[in-house]
Amino acid sequence: MTGVAAAPRQERRPLRERVPLGPYGPLGLFVDPRTWRAVPYLLIVMCWGAACTALVVAGTAVSLALTVVWIGFPMLAVVMIVWRGAAMLERRLLRLAFGVSIPDPYAPLTRRRPLGWPRVVIRDRATWKDFCYLALLFPLGTAEFVTLVILGNTTSRLLLTPVDLARHGYAWPLPELDHEVRGTAAALAWAVAGLGVFVVTMYVVRGFALAHAWWGAFMLGTGEKERLVARAAHLRASRARAVDAAEAERRRIERDLHDGAQQRLLAVAMELGRAQVKIDEDPAAAKEMIASAHAGARAAIAELRDLARGIYPAILTDRGLDAALSHLAARAPIPVDVSVEIRDRPPAAVESIAYFIVSESLANMAKHARAERASVVVCREGERVVVEVRDNGVGGAVPTPGGGLAGLADRAATIDGTLTVLSPPGGPTLIRADLPCEW
Amino acid sequence: MRVVIAEDSVLLREGVARLLADGGIETVAAVGDGPGLVAAVEEHEPDLAVVDVRMPPSHTDEGLRAALAVRASRPGFPILVFSQYVEERYALDLIGEGAAAVGYLLKERVADVSDFLDAVRRVAGGETVIDPELVTQLLGRRRRGEPLDALTPREREVLGLMAEGRSNLAIASRLSVTAGAVEKHISGIFLKLGLEPAPEDHRRVLAVLAYLGRA
Repeated sequence: MTGVAAAPRQERRPLRERVPLGPYGPLGLFVDPRTWRAVPYLLIVMCWGAACTALVVAGTAVSLALTVVWIGFPMLAVVMIVWRGAAMLERRLLRLAFGVSIPDPYAPLTRRRPLGWPRVVIRDRATWKDFCYLALLFPLGTAEFVTLVILGNTTSRLLLTPVDLARHGYAWPLPELDHEVRGTAAALAWAVAGLGVFVVTMYVVRGFALAHAWWGAFMLGTGEKERLVARAAHLRASRARAVDAAEAERRRIERDLHDGAQQRLLAVAMELGRAQVKIDEDPAAAKEMIASAHAGARAAIAELRDLARGIYPAILTDRGLDAALSHLAARAPIPVDVSVEIRDRPPAAVESIAYFIVSESLANMAKHARAERASVVVCREGERVVVEVRDNGVGGAVPTPGGGLAGLADRAATIDGTLTVLSPPGGPTLIRADLPCEW
Repeated sequence: MRVVIAEDSVLLREGVARLLADGGIETVAAVGDGPGLVAAVEEHEPDLAVVDVRMPPSHTDEGLRAALAVRASRPGFPILVFSQYVEERYALDLIGEGAAAVGYLLKERVADVSDFLDAVRRVAGGETVIDPELVTQLLGRRRRGEPLDALTPREREVLGLMAEGRSNLAIASRLSVTAGAVEKHISGIFLKLGLEPAPEDHRRVLAVLAYLGRA
């Protein structure tokens, strides 16, 4: 049953928030992994920057010089591709080192016309911002590297003063000062100063990390305008999907009413009409007709009840997600573990979308997955509600346009949420929805 | 009388067949889609077809189009169309150029057994049956300043019953007046609306509906 059981999640405060002086005090910085992650990058940045700067400057210069013979043009194209590649690598390095995620900002290359690609690449502002960033990476990296090495070296020399004293009888903590230390007390004072420099070094590392991350995001990331354009396109698409989803839903309700309850009630009315005609001359037959009408009316009520539940489950309004999902789980043909770990109730739209995602996922599972167990986990991650439905069935679920899963994705998109389906052939299946909400 | 039923819901198909059987009318075929209706009429040569507008595969106006196809190949073949909703467009399409032996009723009318059987017999007999709901809708749609505003309340009532396809006699008994009084009202209506007097009931329906249906 591995992978299916709902792992308990605990919100645990990180260590840096529990040490004296808080996360931005010296101790907080010392135990914060972000400080140490930045160090390797700052140590390689000079060499890496030298390579990048040499590539873009020398590569471009040589290519431009060679444009007098035709070879310059394809060469420039190759250099451009290589520097865009270097910029992509740099984005990933920045993510590793500083934890900033900078998505590739490039204009999409349409697959159908490879001949148009150079044009797109050249007109793309991102290409030229990459150029500037890489051209400046060597001087910037050199400054960072040298500062860090000097500070690190000073720290270690000062901290080692007592050791030197013990080994040699004297110590030269900083040769530049031409000051010889001979007393133990003085050596310890120098070591304490070393601790001070160490603290300064940590702040400098974090300062570099912050500044470099900001600079990288500014130069290698999407510009504000591009970001807004992309956002507008995304919103337009999600609005269209939301409208379509709502329309499809209304059509489904109309169809269900028309084919279901309306027909049944009509049949009931017909039977009663016949009974009315027959009641005097043939009471026995009329009685039978009334009985059949009665059964029909009950069937119509059941159908209306199911339909109403399908439109909006009352229990969700009354008791919230936990109760509503437990109810769904109880109706499922296989055992379903439900764990809802959110203290405050999310907005109604989020609750309703989460409910229908679980409902449709469980229905799909019952139909196709041949699973033996399933689990539903709802929890809060920051400002989002995360819904995960897992089963140990045969997998292979794919969202097809117009299908149930695609409809769920559309529904999630109406509140800017996302739906992820992981369902390799052979299983297991994980359906995960990330639903943003403002508390 | 022999009847073909075209209706996709099995429940209602059987219900209608039972109603007709109660009234001594034989159902020779019951089909669930448009092409089935055309084929069944060809095969069984019934006296009348009872058709649901909405049928598979499109679930829109499949039944109506099949009914029109039957009427096109057999002008004057009696057809009674049932619709879930009152749609002027459907009714006017169906009536087209000839209102004889045509009925357009809301589906829920089957619940009134005697009215339903009466409608079936009237359509089979070449008369016109139009749902009162549709007539109300057509009359209610009128804008101010039209000739209809010149009608007296009693004349409007008579016009409505005429549009439903009732004969003078039926109108007279419904309103509890003499046939002569009805005739007087009718000629008044035709005069005010500027319509040619039409002697036959179904021609009269056509004229009235055409007048009302004019947008």
